Amino acid sequence: MNDIFKYRAPTSRAELFGLLAAHGEGAKILAGGTDLLVDIRSGLVRPELVINLKKVEDFSDLTWSQSEGLTIGPATTVNDLLHDAKVRDCYPLLADCALTIASHQLRNRATVIGNIVHASPGADMAPGLLCLGARVQIASQRGRREVPLKNFFTGVKRTVLRHDEIVEAIIVPPGTAWSRGSYRKLKRIDGHDLALVSVAVTNKDGAVRVGIGSAAPIPLLIEGLTDQDPADTVVAAARDVIRPISDLRCSKEYREYMIEVFVRRSLEEVR
Amino acid sequence: MSESNTLSVATHVGDDVQRVDDTAKLTGGAMYASDLVFAGMLHAQVKKSPHARAKIVAINTSKAENLPGVHAVLTGKELDYRIGLYVVDKDILAKGAVRHFGEAVAAVAAESLDIASRAVDLIDVEYEVLPPVLSQLDALDESSPLVHPDLGSYDYVKASFSPQPGTNIPNITKIRKGDIDAGFAEAKWIIEREYTNPSVQHVPLETHVAIVEWKAADEVTIWSSAQSPFTLRDLFCRAFKLPYNKVRVIIPHVGGAFGGKAGIHLEPLLACLSRKAGGRPVKFQATREEEFSLLPCRSALTYRIKTGVGADGRITAQKLLMYWDAGAYADYAVNVTRASAYSAAGPYDIPNAWVDAYTIYTNKPWGTAYRGFGHVEFFWGLERHMELVAQVIGMDPLEFRKKNLLKPGSTTLTGERINEHTGNPLKCLEAAAKAINYGRLTPEEEERQARTGRRIGKGIATLHKAPAMPSFTTTAAVIKMNSDGSVVVNIALTEIGQGTATVVTQMAADRLRFPVSRVKVAVERDTDKDPFDWQTVASKGLLLTGNAVIAACDDLLRQAYSDAAQVLRAQTADLDHDAERIFVKQRPEESVTFAALSIGYVYPNGNGIGGPLIGLGRYTAQGLTSLDKETGQGLPALDWTYGAHGVIAEVDPDTGEYKVIKIASAFDVGKVINPGTMRGQCIGGMIQGLGTAECESYIYDDQGRLLNPSLTDNKILTAKDLPEEIECIAVETPQLDGPFGARGVGEHPMISVAPALANAIHDATGAELTHMPVRFEDVWRAIHNKQPIDTWVTKAPADS
Amino acid sequence: MWMSVEVNGHIYEREVTEHWTLLRFLREDLELTGTKDGCSAGECGACTVMLNGQAVNACMVLAAEVDGATVETIEAEAANGELSEIQAAFARNYGVQCGYCTAGMVMSVRELLRHNPKPTVAEIKEGIEGNLCRCTGYQQIIEAVLDVSGQVTNETKGGLKYV
Repeated sequence: MNDIFKYRAPTSRAELFGLLAAHGEGAKILAGGTDLLVDIRSGLVRPELVINLKKVEDFSDLTWSQSEGLTIGPATTVNDLLHDAKVRDCYPLLADCALTIASHQLRNRATVIGNIVHASPGADMAPGLLCLGARVQIASQRGRREVPLKNFFTGVKRTVLRHDEIVEAIIVPPGTAWSRGSYRKLKRIDGHDLALVSVAVTNKDGAVRVGIGSAAPIPLLIEGLTDQDPADTVVAAARDVIRPISDLRCSKEYREYMIEVFVRRSLEEVR
Repeated sequence: MSESNTLSVATHVGDDVQRVDDTAKLTGGAMYASDLVFAGMLHAQVKKSPHARAKIVAINTSKAENLPGVHAVLTGKELDYRIGLYVVDKDILAKGAVRHFGEAVAAVAAESLDIASRAVDLIDVEYEVLPPVLSQLDALDESSPLVHPDLGSYDYVKASFSPQPGTNIPNITKIRKGDIDAGFAEAKWIIEREYTNPSVQHVPLETHVAIVEWKAADEVTIWSSAQSPFTLRDLFCRAFKLPYNKVRVIIPHVGGAFGGKAGIHLEPLLACLSRKAGGRPVKFQATREEEFSLLPCRSALTYRIKTGVGADGRITAQKLLMYWDAGAYADYAVNVTRASAYSAAGPYDIPNAWVDAYTIYTNKPWGTAYRGFGHVEFFWGLERHMELVAQVIGMDPLEFRKKNLLKPGSTTLTGERINEHTGNPLKCLEAAAKAINYGRLTPEEEERQARTGRRIGKGIATLHKAPAMPSFTTTAAVIKMNSDGSVVVNIALTEIGQGTATVVTQMAADRLRFPVSRVKVAVERDTDKDPFDWQTVASKGLLLTGNAVIAACDDLLRQAYSDAAQVLRAQTADLDHDAERIFVKQRPEESVTFAALSIGYVYPNGNGIGGPLIGLGRYTAQGLTSLDKETGQGLPALDWTYGAHGVIAEVDPDTGEYKVIKIASAFDVGKVINPGTMRGQCIGGMIQGLGTAECESYIYDDQGRLLNPSLTDNKILTAKDLPEEIECIAVETPQLDGPFGARGVGEHPMISVAPALANAIHDATGAELTHMPVRFEDVWRAIHNKQPIDTWVTKAPADS
Repeated sequence: MWMSVEVNGHIYEREVTEHWTLLRFLREDLELTGTKDGCSAGECGACTVMLNGQAVNACMVLAAEVDGATVETIEAEAANGELSEIQAAFARNYGVQCGYCTAGMVMSVRELLRHNPKPTVAEIKEGIEGNLCRCTGYQQIIEAVLDVSGQVTNETKGGLKYV
């Protein structure tokens, strides 16, 4: 790591938001660190200040209520989510997605919100959270705002977040609890790997949603389908929105094909 | 250990003796070169080329030199030394031109890693970028730019290699056996195909690391993760024209090597930095990214095989053309070419053969030794070819192989006559085939296929390999007795994980008739203290060092017997010994302990006789010859280890995704010295082989920039990728000149795993795979008759 | 930054370089070199240590983050010169070759067995998935875990076959 940066670990929201407001683009949020430290090491980002948000009280909270649904805090790790009894009961799809992220020791550090905020097209938590109608609660010194996850991503590693803002919570509404869900991820090996493509499909009382990763600059969501729609209709809807590329991991052609296979197979599973 | 007082025999060889180095490694106490720190030590960093081929117009180092904490900055201009194993073609830092992506163009030594990194960032290099030569077949074209225009002026090892000045060819090896035209004329079928492999990385968990100190009066000490201390010293001294007694090489624990740490790599650069920094030790450990292109890889290969087969299914002739992609420097690639050429037909009896094997320069990171030394690469083509030929002629692939296997009386490509002691390839093949129930699906497999919708297929492949080494390769061992009767063995064969220290302990203990607890194999290797060994490569260590250790034990016992004869007033012929003492055979109560003799015997009155017991054993490969440069005829093989793999694979016929249900592999090792460590070597090699079969490869863009120098995009297999079942089988046809009948098996488990897998996938789906690695997408393309993608060079952007 | 951290039962108070990782802090400041650096990118697991009782990649944690925390490394695994049960099982089953992945591997096995004293083979593979090993092919490590968890049966017992 070549870059010399300062480190701060605020213990309150006020202190955190103050630091962010003061340092602007030069500050980077450290949650799990599993993306940030890699990006710093490779020179992709060169922060002046790294702000560890894990010391802010209640940021690790992972709560569920019948009225609010699931609230995931900024320091909630992937393994916290994966092993949470309520998550496994209400949103087992999220646990399925979480288990495909990296390795056990990385999941002990990596945060669910970090996976989303990093905004990789292949973020493993994205297709499932999109299907489940997740909302993103954004906070800063200036106040709070909320956007649906489907409007959160703006490009490869780009989101609607401004420099002084953090994602304070991801909220999965109670209405999609106990959805039937299925997640499929194409990897190069069985062991830990990034998604070459990924597909989540949910069915909640007949309403079918499809989330797709690594198929466009941002994770995609297809809504407005039903479990009465023939598979060909669902596949056609997917074909309409995907824009995969060829890269060193696989070709565009194979991505297109596998998305179609995954959509068909997952759809079958949730019908 | 037997307590019997007469002629106790081997009691450790063949047993599961626990590794002698495991406690140090399990507690974090084992010191690797990367763990060493010395007073005054500086840290080096390297400025690397972002281009595959370019002229260096100017390098400005002044900002780096002025950075506080920087003690030395070097560029190629001030270094007038060239290094090279067989063809001396490499500058320590690029001079005037860069020949591959990631090549070192400047280096810094500073008080901390952070300062060194910053200093390297401050070096400005101006390049004139030139179009690179990326494919070795393009590089053969007369219009191709020359990677080394000065090839004709380079030194090289004339007995073995044939550089072609004015071309990109640093070596051609030719083998001629029988009459190739007559052989093809006899054939009923002639089948010709081409097979390809990309470059791959060794991925030792410990990247290359060295510390070098060049003090006043040219006193040089090198601590390195290198495999071969004496070859490193030899190449170092030749490059700098230093006397050998000025240079000391020390090798502590090594964190995996696989051939990538053979030869010489970082040490000359660090030496020059140290000298410039006034003799302070300078340390450098490659990052994982640097491991891929600042350091070498395994060469790519294009293999064209043309086979003539008679009506009876016997091969009548074979024309074998190998095009090895050396990358920017010849390093080991020229010798990989040579070793592969004389093994090129596999363990088959080919009456008429013609091999032309070319080593070819390109503008890519250079290839070096890698476990298997060419055999993993060419066996991919060869054993896929055997499968495809069998299919064409309508014969079962197992039967076709059995019909053509070497057997006693057969001759190899170089004219060596095989006999019943050479090893038994048939037994290996039959054992592997039987272990996977070759040729049919079991009822459980039928049921599984029906349940999953996936197709199950079975494939086999054979392999052989002899050590690729000079015909006159030698080694030595010294065994020293301590005053309590325990012994220390000094050898220069390094322990790189393969278990050398353990099997040497077992062999020495048995030869001495001591318990293993009394035998220690020294951990560090040190050219100032250890006896010579050529290199820790080629699966030759067990045979050569084993024989030297046996000779050293005998020498020590001879000295002990001689001193004991004097003490006991007996002839040595009247003496015998057990673990503790030497005694008179007919009156065992008349005895003297080893402890009493160990550093000289002392009589009750104070007189001393004898002296420290120190046994010396030497061993030289017996009877080997150089190969004739025109015909390739000669005797290059110390021993042949044969083997075979059987693979059961399960394939999704829609998507090409597959998994390995079982791999079963058999090797004729002569004699198993340690079943636990042998099985470890085998499984480790089989899984490494599966990794290169399934997913590993260098991927470049069309400018020759490496796109995947990381474990993120150069995946190696994890525990989750293991086959459901792994079976390891030993065949024991004793090697007449092997210690306890044993021969080496270090590299062999990795060879031919890939074709066995592809043959199984082929069996399941009909996919005609000819390119490694076999990624899911490749299988999908083969099944659905789509154009294969060639991702050795891709025009795609680096990231999605 | 000034910080205090408990490592292997000892309290260390140190000025830490703020951009250093926990891995560099352990190896270079505390000279605990048993933890290895295999990639510095969270891919290989050679640097796995226990942080507040959880296995983490030390290269993916800033040293400054462990202020007030408890860290355990391979150096604390053996007690009074005796190998721990996990270490002894690795030794019995040839789970060590070059040794460079070993420290991290032992840490991951400890984490696994803490949650799951009798893991299945699939769970063992999942548990050590993040620890790359290039030498052993993992099989004998898996056998070591079956051994230490008291699950060696004729079916799971590995061994060389002879013909």
